[in-house]
Amino acid sequence: MAGDVLVIAEHWKGRPEAVTFQLIAKGREIADARRASLGVLVLGHDIGELAADLAGTGVDAVFVVDHRALGNAACGLLAEAAVASLREIAPALTLVGFTLVGMELAPAIATRLGVAAMTNCVNVECVDGEIVVAKPVYDGALHARVIFDRDAPALVALQAGATPTLPQPARAALVRALALDIESMPRRGEIVQFIEEPIGDVDIAKADIIVSAGRGVGDASKLPMIEACAKALGGLMGCSRPLVDQGWLPRERQVGASGKTVTPKIYIACGISGASQHLAGMSGAKMIVAINKDPNAPIFQVAHYGIVGDLFEIVPELTAQAKKS
Amino acid sequence: MKIVVCCKAVPGAVTDVAVETRGDALRFRSQFQSMNECDEYAMEEAVVLKRLYGGEIIALTIGGVSTQEILYTAAAKGADRIVRVDALAQDPRAASIVLAAALKTLAADLVLTGTQSRDSLSSFVGVATAQRLDVPFAFAVTAIEKDGDDAIKVRKELGGGRSADVRLPLPALVCVQTGIQPLNYVPPARLMRARQQRPQSLSLADLGLTLADIAPRGYRIASVAPPARAAGAQILSGPPAEAVRALLAKMAEAG
Ligand SMILES: Cc1cc2nc3c(=O)[nH]c(=O)nc-3n(C[C@H](O)[C@H](O)[C@H](O)COP(=O)(O)OP(=O)(O)OC[C@H]3O[C@@H](n4cnc5c(N)ncnc54)[C@H](O)[C@@H]3O)c2cc1C
Ligand SMILES: Nc1ncnc2c1ncn2[C@@H]1O[C@H](COP(=O)(O)O)[C@@H](O)[C@H]1O
Repeated sequence: MAGDVLVIAEHWKGRPEAVTFQLIAKGREIADARRASLGVLVLGHDIGELAADLAGTGVDAVFVVDHRALGNAACGLLAEAAVASLREIAPALTLVGFTLVGMELAPAIATRLGVAAMTNCVNVECVDGEIVVAKPVYDGALHARVIFDRDAPALVALQAGATPTLPQPARAALVRALALDIESMPRRGEIVQFIEEPIGDVDIAKADIIVSAGRGVGDASKLPMIEACAKALGGLMGCSRPLVDQGWLPRERQVGASGKTVTPKIYIACGISGASQHLAGMSGAKMIVAINKDPNAPIFQVAHYGIVGDLFEIVPELTAQAKKS
Repeated sequence: MKIVVCCKAVPGAVTDVAVETRGDALRFRSQFQSMNECDEYAMEEAVVLKRLYGGEIIALTIGGVSTQEILYTAAAKGADRIVRVDALAQDPRAASIVLAAALKTLAADLVLTGTQSRDSLSSFVGVATAQRLDVPFAFAVTAIEKDGDDAIKVRKELGGGRSADVRLPLPALVCVQTGIQPLNYVPPARLMRARQQRPQSLSLADLGLTLADIAPRGYRIASVAPPARAAGAQILSGPPAEAVRALLAKMAEAG
């Protein structure tokens, strides 16, 4: 139907990822505004139960592609199956997560189907019948507002955690298996094995307070200063990706899309700009504090409290005062 | 192995950002341009692969003449040939069209791109280019090794601390993640020497493309501005001691 919205579900071990519910909430809003229907597409293996669960989340239809070869198809084949599904469903708007999975699916789908796409979006809405998105550009200090051409199909990759998950009234959703010829699709590579990183010696996900270091700390020799602060507050030290990339800290300390998802009571980001992939790992914290010398740093868009200043002045002061109290 | 590394010149701090009158692109002012961070890592990985397996490294960029700077950096890091397509790729789709066309003429065994460019923040161009070339691909790769004569094995991130090892037949395209290799410092003397190298320049016409082929399509940019801080941070101001006192009070309230 004209205006229909489709969400591509992301799941792991039989459960939908949180981003799927966020996409459904957004999709519902837009479908309602356009008096259109909302579907969700699930690709994978042994996903009957998952599909049934998704049928009760406020969507009008669940499209299922269940095939053994999709159980561990992280790249090529999953994209092939998604492209073939979209040819059949022909939605006006497709929503995927801007996650590591979605970063592979979105360009593949858009390119193969010739659909206009915007990725890394913080919002998508329907304004006067047009699809409008907001996406960060140039390091995230600015957001571009982009309007898709009316009546042309569009694809949006939305950041995980960018929109809240609102409870959806359940509807009687139709579950429909798509008959795709998966066997004859080109494989273009195969998964040899999956690796789940061990928790490690330090599990920052368990901490109530996390003090995280970003590239703003300058070099590895400054990390004890951050660690001392975390300790004085009774918490643990986390970090952003560049610190792990440079070998300053082990991967188990990394917060974000390709690191850990943490939901502490208090998260203090020191010298972290607030890239979407970092936010994906910590936007669920109850209280977010940003210490950054750049008042325009995107981290201040999500922080509850901010101190604009030099972390080399602020952090030692915080440590000292925390020790006293 | 013949490896092409796609590198993008990205601006440093930008000012005066505005939407072009037709709403199809952004314009801005910036002081300098440098090689996009993950592309730099891709370049380092290419150097390691060449050392292990032999072959040739070609650095490829799309951009105006000022973007040539990053090609000299690539040459100083170890690129044997440097190629610039003289064109403005206004959006990721355009970049993928031009890269795919250029890559067809270069016939690489392995194409490396980064995962995301710092200005467009799209994570789109790599996989889109692979689709246009119809070759196997993997995104967010943290390790590459040969697996027999005509395949590679790569480790790719899946998010949430999960990854997968994937076998890809060659030719293939891999989007390299930051941290794949340590970044090596380029001594100024080596950069000076690299400047002697003349980049090969290709025009859109050389690639059989026209401006219309790469014009932005399907959307218009309405505005660009700092985001409204709807729920934005309450800034605790004053000298450090005062700001920190206020912060600890807020933290105590939050429990
Ligand atoms: C597929 C993919 C997955 C990714 N996964 C992750 C992930 O899991 N986790 C993650 O963190 N990133 C991840 N990234 C990288 C992410 O996009 C950013 O590049 C990264 O988060 C930036 O880290 P940063 O904020 O520490 O550094 P920068 O962006 O360089 O920011 C440094 C900040 O420090 C501030 N600063 C500098 N000096 C001082 C000072 N003296 N006092 C106070 N402030 C100062 C600056 O103003 C700046 O805001 C991923 C990227 C991709 C493409
Ligand atoms: N103009 C360009 N020239 C060369 N490579 C590019 C260009 N634009 C993007 N790329 C490549 O595509 C990757 C992803 O960019 P993006 O999709 O813009 O986030 C970059 O890391 C580069 O490797």
